[in-house]
Amino acid sequence: MDLAMMLDLYRDMWLIRAFELGLEREFKQGNVPGMLHTGLGQEATQAALAAHLEASDCFFPDHRCHGINVLAQQRHGGDGERIMAELFGRATGVCSGKGGSLHSADPAVGNFGCNAVEGAYMATVLGVALASKLREEPAVACAIIGDGTCGRGEFHESLNMAAIWDLPVLYACLNNGYAIMTPVGQGHASADIVDLARGYGFPCEQLDGNDIEECYDKIENAVAHIRAGKGPYFLEFKTWRWQAAFAGEFRPESEVKYWKEDHDPILMAGEKLVELGASVEELGVIEKEAREVTEEWISYAKESPMPDLAKATANVYVGWEVAGS
Amino acid sequence: MIAANTPASVDGPTDGPGGKKSKTTFVRALNDALDLGMERFPEMFLIGEDIAEMGGDFSVTKGLWAKYGQERVRDTPLSEAAIVGTCVGSSMVGMRPVAEIMFADFVGECYDQIVNTAAKMHYMFDGQFKAPLVIRTACGGGFGGGPHHSQSVEGWFMNVPGIVIVAPSNPADAKGLLLSSIESDDPVLFLEHKALYRARGEVPGGYHTTPLGRASVARQGTDVTVVATMRMVPMALTAAEEAAKEGVSVEVVDLRTIRPYDAATILESVAKTGRVVVANEAPKTGGLGAELSARIHEECFAELLGPVVRVDGLDTPIPFSVPLEEVVLPDEADISAAIGEAMRNSR
Ligand SMILES: Cc1ncc(C[n+]2csc(CCOP(=O)(O)OP(=O)(O)O)c2C)c(N)n1
Ligand SMILES: [Mg+2]
Repeated sequence: MDLAMMLDLYRDMWLIRAFELGLEREFKQGNVPGMLHTGLGQEATQAALAAHLEASDCFFPDHRCHGINVLAQQRHGGDGERIMAELFGRATGVCSGKGGSLHSADPAVGNFGCNAVEGAYMATVLGVALASKLREEPAVACAIIGDGTCGRGEFHESLNMAAIWDLPVLYACLNNGYAIMTPVGQGHASADIVDLARGYGFPCEQLDGNDIEECYDKIENAVAHIRAGKGPYFLEFKTWRWQAAFAGEFRPESEVKYWKEDHDPILMAGEKLVELGASVEELGVIEKEAREVTEEWISYAKESPMPDLAKATANVYVGWEVAGS
Repeated sequence: MIAANTPASVDGPTDGPGGKKSKTTFVRALNDALDLGMERFPEMFLIGEDIAEMGGDFSVTKGLWAKYGQERVRDTPLSEAAIVGTCVGSSMVGMRPVAEIMFADFVGECYDQIVNTAAKMHYMFDGQFKAPLVIRTACGGGFGGGPHHSQSVEGWFMNVPGIVIVAPSNPADAKGLLLSSIESDDPVLFLEHKALYRARGEVPGGYHTTPLGRASVARQGTDVTVVATMRMVPMALTAAEEAAKEGVSVEVVDLRTIRPYDAATILESVAKTGRVVVANEAPKTGGLGAELSARIHEECFAELLGPVVRVDGLDTPIPFSVPLEEVVLPDEADISAAIGEAMRNSR
């Protein structure tokens, strides 16, 4: 990978990290309602996916995907600040504040919406993919799912149906080792989710989800396969999330140290960039800019108005109005 | 007790535009509607288990696979969540899928896709997506189907904002309501009572729609209103005939759409008669009768001459053995008794 491209991805990863750090701070201060799941630690996978998805593709983001949602806005002519405003429940959010973190969508940039019933869109993605196939469009329909989410029956219904119909689905499984506190090997017959997928007979690969180059290249390959009409593809990204559980950190210190210090996606990319000739100052500027834009977006969100109260009963049906109180 | 193959006693209404009418079965009327929909909407497709070459368990899709091909009439494995998921996703991008869930009892397998994805799609993303899909499913008892092939599931969905529940009682409405459901931009759960499949009635020819969200007055009367759904409608009409012999004039309102329902037609009828029976096959507690009864009391208390009387299934699963099933499910005699009670127990 050349320096320029690597720098772009580094910038994207920093935007995700700064966004999530700023959001986490605001959440802790009580400014963000509801629940918060951050993508901290999983920036490489998200940045690499965003880099390969076009506005005419579709992705279903998981509950840690604020970052990919923001990058899709940036890449396809939208506004990152509208993702932030949505998380604050404001009128200027992508769903007018009605969705929040767990239900942010913006079809204009290919974002088909998170679903807080984890992985429900493993079934939904089939329909988007089938429509592309029937219309002979070379689009990719991507479902982003956690390791724990692969325990759902829809996982198998989806992979089977995608296989028998050769649907253009990219399954991006972010295996961060745990479902809340349940270790992946305890919750599944294999700690390698890719083993569960293999029986369906389409290409399945496991990769280092914190290595931005590997992520970028493997996704590029998978997306090319799908666009060529060769059917579904399954990628398992081995990664790790900074966020522990509500009860606090439960993972061994050595594990935390490994993932945060020795195998952090941004630190690893930074080292690679210096090898490729980037300066430490240049990298510092990227970080600084990401933090600045995040603060601007937070201010924008906080200054945005709350939704018009009429929104509470708007758009329940297309064909009927629902009466207010 | 009506067996599955007993013809219903109701003919279709005469609201069809143009087209010659002919006497045909409920199944045939549904099949015609699907055929006409497929012809009119290139973005429409059918999906379900053994609906293609076989034409479905009840022959509703018969002949459509041969006519429209396997891309538009799609067989699936036993994957109800994936069937409905495919409908939801494709409808998000402008297709008009019509799924068949073989028996309504299996909607639990795809409940999440219907309730949490399809029904909330338009709302939670604030209008950015629509889910114009139809889920057809065979419901109701009366044929010895037992606990997992006989249920009336409308109550499972009554409490779900965003879903449309359609429930025809005769062939003409089956056709007209199915075409309206296909045209609808909201997700529709389309209930087909198995005991009505072979019912015959006049059906308008050609493309003909019956509006969603509108009840019909299946029989005019002045003493008691019976609000009924699906198989309870022909039963209510029979009970009304019986009551007429005793000098009691019964108005039968066929609800047709269970959610969002047509309160105006019900309330107008109640204002006229002052006495109400609500007849629905599902278990009583928390059911349609409870909802309508509450609404009528809230909005028409002054006009009521007595309390609303409910006719429902018992609060049990549906047993297999025929005499037991007869105990559990409501029939004409129960409606007749309810009409009698409404007359007696009134000011
Ligand atoms: C169907 C469903 N079951 C349970 C939950 C509650 N829940 C939210 S996140 C989560 C764990 C998900 O684990 P994983 O898929 O590995 O994602 P991670 O949080 O580790 O990224 C659970 C159980 C849910 N939202 N949806
Ligand atoms: Mg996990």
